[in-house]
Amino acid sequence: MTDRIKEQLSAFLDGELPDPESALLLKRLERDDELRSALSRYSLVGAVLRSDGDVPAARHVAARVSAAIAREPARVAGFLRRPGRDAFLRGAAGFAVAAGVALGAVLLVQQAGLPGAEAPDAVVAQAEPPPVLPPVVEDPEIYVTPPAPGAPAGIPPAEFANYLVAHYGYASPLVRRSVGAGLISDDEPALADALPPAETPAP
Amino acid sequence: MTSRLAIATALGLAATPVFAENGQEWLTRMGAALSNASYVGEFVSESAGRTERFAITHRVRDGVVSERLVSLTGQGRELVRENDEVVVYLPDQKLAIIERRSGRSDLLGALPQFEGRMATWYRIDWVGRETLDDFGPTAVVAVRPRDGYRFGYRLWIDVDSHMPVRSDLSDGSGRVIERLRFTRLDFDGDIPDSAFEPALDRHKLRWVRQSPQADDEAPAWRAAQVPPGFRLSASGVQALAGPNSPVSHLVYSDGLATVSVFIRVPKPGRVPLEGTSRSGVASAYTTVVDGHQVTAVGEVPTRTLKTIAMSLRPAAVTADEARAAANRRN
Repeated sequence: MTDRIKEQLSAFLDGELPDPESALLLKRLERDDELRSALSRYSLVGAVLRSDGDVPAARHVAARVSAAIAREPARVAGFLRRPGRDAFLRGAAGFAVAAGVALGAVLLVQQAGLPGAEAPDAVVAQAEPPPVLPPVVEDPEIYVTPPAPGAPAGIPPAEFANYLVAHYGYASPLVRRSVGAGLISDDEPALADALPPAETPAP
Repeated sequence: MTSRLAIATALGLAATPVFAENGQEWLTRMGAALSNASYVGEFVSESAGRTERFAITHRVRDGVVSERLVSLTGQGRELVRENDEVVVYLPDQKLAIIERRSGRSDLLGALPQFEGRMATWYRIDWVGRETLDDFGPTAVVAVRPRDGYRFGYRLWIDVDSHMPVRSDLSDGSGRVIERLRFTRLDFDGDIPDSAFEPALDRHKLRWVRQSPQADDEAPAWRAAQVPPGFRLSASGVQALAGPNSPVSHLVYSDGLATVSVFIRVPKPGRVPLEGTSRSGVASAYTTVVDGHQVTAVGEVPTRTLKTIAMSLRPAAVTADEARAAANRRN
C-alpha cells in the first residue's frame, strides 16, 4: 500500500477527503482486504488517541462508509457499467465494506484488550457475514483528484482527434480500422478550433 | 435465407480443415490475408450504443497499400491512406488533415506473431466454428489478455478468404467495447486508382498538415514506470494541428497494443487539464507533469494510460534516478 493511499485513508477518516476521491477509495475498499484492514487499524488508532474510555470508531466508520457508498455516482470511472449489476454491487459492497470495517475494528479492539469494546454494529456484522463479491475488473491503482468544478475534464475533443490522427499509424493492426472509423465518425466534434494559424495549400 | 444458411452450414461441415484447428494458425493465415488481399466492402461499427456504417476500399499493389474509408451514415467524412500518408477529410467542416510519416511506419499493418514475448501477455484460444449469416462458416479465435493492462479480441475469420469478417474488442471481464462486422466483402485484384479519390472538391478544403519532424534517438522524456510488457517502440518530435510549437511523441507497445504519449508546453493562460476522454475504441488520459501537458492515447484500458502518463519524467531526471538506484544497490 502506497503512502498516497495511506494519506487518503487518514483523510477519509478525518472527513477531509473530497467526495470524488472518497468514491474512488470506497471502490477500492470493496475488493481490497488489506485496505479494509488498514482502515480498521487507522480508525482504532484514532479512536484510542481520542479515547475517553469508549471506542465508538467502528460504528462511526461503518456509518460513514455506508453513507458514502450510498452517495457514490453510478459512473465513477467514467466508463460504461451495467446498471443492474452496479446496483447490486453498490448495495452488497456497501454492506460488505461497512460490515468488514466494523468487524475488523472490533476484533482489533478485543485483541488489544481495551475496555468498552462493545459495538452494536459489529454484532450485526458477525451475525450476517458479508457476501462474496465478484471481482471488479477496473482497478485504478492511482488515485487522481478530479479537476475542480468548472475546470475542463480531459482534453478537448478536437485536440483528442488531432492526437488520434497522429496515433493512427501506430495503432494495433487489429484495431487500426476501428480507430480510423472513429476519426470519421459523426460523433467526432469540430476540429476547426484546433487549427494552426497558417494553413497549407492543397497538395 | 434458410436455404442459404443450409448451404453455408453444409459447406462449413464439408470444409474439414487440412490443418489442425489452432488459434495461432488461424491468426497467421489472417495476418497474411490482411497484408495481401485487395477488396471492397462495407462494415458496421457498434460501440456504446452507437451504430455506424462504413465503406472500405483496400488495395495492395506492388507492396503499396491504399485504403479509403467512408462514413455512410453521416456527412461523408473520409479517411484515405496511401502507404505512409493519411488524410482525414471532413467536408462538413471544409477541412482536411494530412499526416505523412517517412520510412519506418508500420502502416502496412502486418499482424505480430503471438509467440515468445507476446505469449507472456496474451493467450490465444481456439473457440470453434461458427456460421455467420452474411459469410457462412468462420473460425473463431480469442486473443485474451493475461492482465488488466490490455484489451482482448474475439475474431471471426472467414474460412475461405481468411479475412476477419467480425471482431469484438473486449475488456478484461469480456464486456464488448466495440463490435465491427462486415456486411459485404468482395475481393477485387484490379481496383483502379480513381477508387481512392475522395468524393469532394479538394480545393475547397482548408488543409492542415501534421507530420513528424524528426526521429528522436534520445527523447527528452521517458516513462519511469510502464505496465508489464510495454516498451518504448518509437519516439520523435511531431507537428500537430493546434500547438504552435512541436510536440514530443513517444510510442509504447507490448507488441500488439500501443500507447502514444504527447508532451507539450501548455498554452499560456490555459487551465491545466487533467482527466480521461474516450472516442470509440481509443481513450486518452491527460495530466500535468513538470509543467508540461502530458497526454496518453491508445486502445488500452484507462489504467494503462494513467500508469504511463503519470510516470513520465524528463529523461535527465530518469537517468539521475537510475544512477541513484544503482548507488543504493552498490
